[in-house]
Amino acid sequence: METILSIHQLSKRYGRIQAVNQLSLEVGKGQVFGILGPNGSGKTTTLGMVLDLVQPDIGSFEWFGETPTKESRKRIGAVIETPNFFPYLSARKNLEVVAKIKDYDYSDIDRSLQLTGLYDRRNDKFKTYSFGMKQRLAVASAMLNQPEVMILDEPTNGLDPQGIAQVRELIKKIAREGITIILASHLLDEVQKICNHVAVLNKGNILFSGEVHEVLAVSDSFELKANDPAALKAAITEHPAFRSVTESDGILLAVFAELVTPGEINDYMQQKKITLFHLAERKRTLEQHFLELLKDDPS
Amino acid sequence: MKLLTIELKKVLTYKTFWIIIGLYFLFLGLGIVMAEFIVNAMVDDVNKRLPIPLPHAVLFNFPDIWQNLTFFASIRFVLIFPAILIIILITNEFTNKTVRQNIVNGMSRSEFIFSKLQLVFMFAVVITFILTLVMFILGLIHSDSQSLSMIFNRFSFVFGFFIQMITYLCYAFFVAFLLRNTGLAIALFTLYTIIIEPVIYFFLRAPFMWENKVYTYLPVNAVIRIVEYPAIPALKKLMNFQLQDEVTLLSCAIPVIYSMVMIGIVYWTFNKRDL
Repeated sequence: METILSIHQLSKRYGRIQAVNQLSLEVGKGQVFGILGPNGSGKTTTLGMVLDLVQPDIGSFEWFGETPTKESRKRIGAVIETPNFFPYLSARKNLEVVAKIKDYDYSDIDRSLQLTGLYDRRNDKFKTYSFGMKQRLAVASAMLNQPEVMILDEPTNGLDPQGIAQVRELIKKIAREGITIILASHLLDEVQKICNHVAVLNKGNILFSGEVHEVLAVSDSFELKANDPAALKAAITEHPAFRSVTESDGILLAVFAELVTPGEINDYMQQKKITLFHLAERKRTLEQHFLELLKDDPS
Repeated sequence: MKLLTIELKKVLTYKTFWIIIGLYFLFLGLGIVMAEFIVNAMVDDVNKRLPIPLPHAVLFNFPDIWQNLTFFASIRFVLIFPAILIIILITNEFTNKTVRQNIVNGMSRSEFIFSKLQLVFMFAVVITFILTLVMFILGLIHSDSQSLSMIFNRFSFVFGFFIQMITYLCYAFFVAFLLRNTGLAIALFTLYTIIIEPVIYFFLRAPFMWENKVYTYLPVNAVIRIVEYPAIPALKKLMNFQLQDEVTLLSCAIPVIYSMVMIGIVYWTFNKRDL
């Protein structure tokens, strides 16, 4: 798989606070990669570093397998925190500035304004826009001329339910076109709905990362233990909803493709003449873990 | 050219830009129109007490007009208008956070600095050009002799004015990049130009310090001194002016060195700083 972004041991400290701590991750082509974590977990700092806004203390990163330059940033469309535009310029003029910086001509501006539903208001000044429209203009500027990768930092923050739905729909639409997306969010639900890969961040550390259905949608994963691990493993593999199984310290972690209850697992194992002496649903622990992270977070 | 195009896009539809530029040329125009009246009113006033009356000042004839108008156009209160505009245009990028978006979109930090320097350069060129055009026309109207050598004698004052403009705008550029906050930067810059430096100047110029001339190295003062006096013989006698025939390269060197150091500091800090 082609790597779009790879980060190696990136660290940033602000005074006494370690904002990002030896963070490493890889984003592959075509992924919709979520960076999930509460506010202050280092999401924006990480994105700031890979976009040359923040100077890392140590560590490095590569865009498209190369040492990053301004030219690599021209291949990226990014929305960072708040939509930043000139208040007195119209949407169109603001996008002309963006296009000019990226060495594009203006031919794609109308299309991106239409896609984000701003075409009718294209000649109005940015400062007359509602917050939702500003956010959509930010998305429009990021998707100018089909970038290879889009970075969206809290794209639905502060939007009303309708605005949230619009922006999420837009992101899905972009993802379907095969554009790699890196999305930072503090909303578990948002990452689950949009992303296929995720890294969960807290206090600058990656807690876990992987495919979304493995890391977050774990309502269908179980820890199992029996006196005959080989037979247990075989039985799990034969289960109709089987997806994957991994072993650590004699405990098997089984992931199922669809929702299975502990009772059903127990019945199934009894049919296979296996007596379980450990059966635990992973769902609760993971979700609780994440909720605990968010509990520290006032928002 | 690309960077300048981007700058023009940002600037030309900005209402504040046109208001300040308008005010600047209004002040400048009024100053030019009234200068001769004011100077001659002073001469008349003094003449009442003098046995041999001083001659009336003629400001607009070649080649004195170059020196006279660049002198009036480079007094602190006039020079500060375009400088404030530069401060607003640069600090706006920080308050609107558009500098972040520019970098994210693929501008390098050096390009960002360079684009603002291009703006400074363009301001200096355009203002000098307009002023030169005005001086040329006024000179043609008011001069009897219109030989080329007469007209372009002492043209060095136009060059001097250009250096005044570009270096003073570089100071504004420096303050804007360092403080990033529009109100604070304007307040400090204005305060320094109008009050702080004149006060320092006053104390440095006190009689016991007379010989060492440190005051000539004060940054704003060094800019003002490029065109130090107008070419008005009457005023010369009244206020003990010295004669200034040409703009000297030495007087240009001090503010140019200041500007280069400031650009260097901006370059060095901006490339290291988090945005």
